[in-house]
Amino acid sequence: MATTAPQPPPALTFPRPIFAAVSPHPFLQAHLSAAKNKSLRANGRTAREFRVPGINTGSLTYCNGSAVVRLGNTSVVCGVRAEILKDEDIPGTYEYPGQTAGEDSDDEDEGSEMEGLRLLVPNVELSTGSTPSHIPGNAPTTYAQTLITRIRSLLHSTRLLHASDLRILYRSSTNPEDPDTEAETQLKGYWVLYLDVFFVSIDGNAFDASWIAILAALRDTLLPRAYFDEEYEGILCSDDPKEAQRLSLRGLPISSTFAVFEGRKEDDEGEADWVLSDPDAFEEGVCRETVSIVVDCEGGKKGTKDLVVRRVEKSGGGVVGRETMGGLVKRSIDRWGEVSKVLEGKA
Amino acid sequence: MNTDRRRNNAPNGGTSAPVFARTIRDSEYLEKLRPSRSRGPNELRRIFLQTSIIPSASGSAYLEIPSSSSATSSTLIPPTSCLKITASIQGPKPLPRSAPFSPSLLLTTTVKFAPFATRSRRGYIRDSAERDLGVHLETALRGVIIGERWPKSGVEVVVTILEGDEDGWWGDSASEGSAAGSGWGLLNVLAGCITVASAAITDAGIDCVDMVCGGVAAITRNPESRHEKELVRILDPCPAEHKEVVAACVVGYLASRDEITEIWMKGDVGADPDALIEGATHAAMGSLAVVKEVLLEALEAKFHGQTEGNDAGLKRKAHDVEMTGGA
Repeated sequence: MATTAPQPPPALTFPRPIFAAVSPHPFLQAHLSAAKNKSLRANGRTAREFRVPGINTGSLTYCNGSAVVRLGNTSVVCGVRAEILKDEDIPGTYEYPGQTAGEDSDDEDEGSEMEGLRLLVPNVELSTGSTPSHIPGNAPTTYAQTLITRIRSLLHSTRLLHASDLRILYRSSTNPEDPDTEAETQLKGYWVLYLDVFFVSIDGNAFDASWIAILAALRDTLLPRAYFDEEYEGILCSDDPKEAQRLSLRGLPISSTFAVFEGRKEDDEGEADWVLSDPDAFEEGVCRETVSIVVDCEGGKKGTKDLVVRRVEKSGGGVVGRETMGGLVKRSIDRWGEVSKVLEGKA
Repeated sequence: MNTDRRRNNAPNGGTSAPVFARTIRDSEYLEKLRPSRSRGPNELRRIFLQTSIIPSASGSAYLEIPSSSSATSSTLIPPTSCLKITASIQGPKPLPRSAPFSPSLLLTTTVKFAPFATRSRRGYIRDSAERDLGVHLETALRGVIIGERWPKSGVEVVVTILEGDEDGWWGDSASEGSAAGSGWGLLNVLAGCITVASAAITDAGIDCVDMVCGGVAAITRNPESRHEKELVRILDPCPAEHKEVVAACVVGYLASRDEITEIWMKGDVGADPDALIEGATHAAMGSLAVVKEVLLEALEAKFHGQTEGNDAGLKRKAHDVEMTGGA
């Protein structure tokens, strides 16, 4: 490892952590340009290497679904909690379109139903002592607010959940108007899913970690069978696990985040920019340009060959061009395979 | 509910927790789910403790006390919970220039329940119970830290409760409302907070006069005895397992100096409060044994790693210790 700064004499020699703290940018560059063909980052990974996620589900008692995700030193707890929104509490004049809207049809209306009624309530808490920059007692920082807005918009734009899973319907046994025909199905309420993401520890890439945690927790979620009880005149649930239902998710969108490290050019040799997969906190501190790509390869039968790009987010600089972006999408596809294996419990 | 513009809020009309049909229809079935204490009166629950879980913090610890009653898979109603707490220490670091001079270390404690920590959902903004716990924890820790060694500095102790003990059995609170609101669970949570924060402070290397540990003892009415009035003193109570808790006490106890930095007693203690306090100190000594062993092991692993020249990361060792009461 190069611990001397590439400067004219007097040559300074620092221990690693001090070099990293005093001059982070040359520190990372020294690492990346140390070996000619195989550049290693300060954390020992190669530029293209992601951290392998560790996922544990169902560990929280009071949640319908929960997951603990570890991405290196980043660890996240996500709890999904379902509560009932009664039809009389539904704000505004929302009309249930009836059974004709179809259970299977992927109509555009569902989006407005979920988003308009706020049936998904995701929230993120960073100030749990997980990082020195987020101290509790203050309002959520802009970083936390941006993070949660990105997660919410990804939840809605990928249309991950089916609105039909969340509806609580009721069909009366007798039709008061016409006893011969069957009664119409009425909407009695909705399940509202509270997605609470708590960071235990942050070491970079909070977005990917929380998204994997949300996905894992949603896959783990078990909604009890809810029905309208005429005698009770309210919605009751059955506590039998056999009647409970898992959420069906549309596809499996997985996000991959990259950070672009712009090296300072000293002479005309070698590459000066590196695109680092899955940056840690130290690398996030020295990189300005970040790219997040969400891909989903579950639609087709051909595995990772058949992909849909669900979202591309890029900000902070101008290094990543069209060709680089193509390469990053390929790297995201590889990442999709890795993460989906862990999610399925195969790895 | 007040709206918080910086977070995502629930629908305006508000939502309600699901009501399970069998809890209101079938009281016999309900009674079957009631947990009961299977431990001896002086036996503590198992404790799981791990230090250095947050690399970016100067010290951190995670404590878990699993529920002793086994979870049944036949119902979706959540069983009695276990205690899961993380603590993180940020600092000591210099106070901002604008702050007035302080000759000793400024301690700030924050205790926060996660929204999914209890049977009814909690909000993100700290409520009075959380602030109260924070003050109690601060008193417990202030007496231990040698603050004079860090003038003009501050340290943040952040405790997050991922899952907390309950105040009583959920079936009781729904039907009678006797156990609810009495806050027995908070005492257990405070004891856990003291223990985990103390382990994290030691992990951060802040000088202390001793290790402080939390312990709880309670007086309960024995349901099996012929005399309805017979009282039993137990260590480390799980409030859900008892029909009636008469009194409870939590202490922050320094075992080697035999001192108490924090005491919180509730309920009808009777003529002899000393027995209850002594019970709580015994419980604290039980958790101290675990904390000591875990810290020693973490230290050994650290030095072991250094001698082998492999200081890339602390070897984190999970540890689980079976305990019997210190009494």
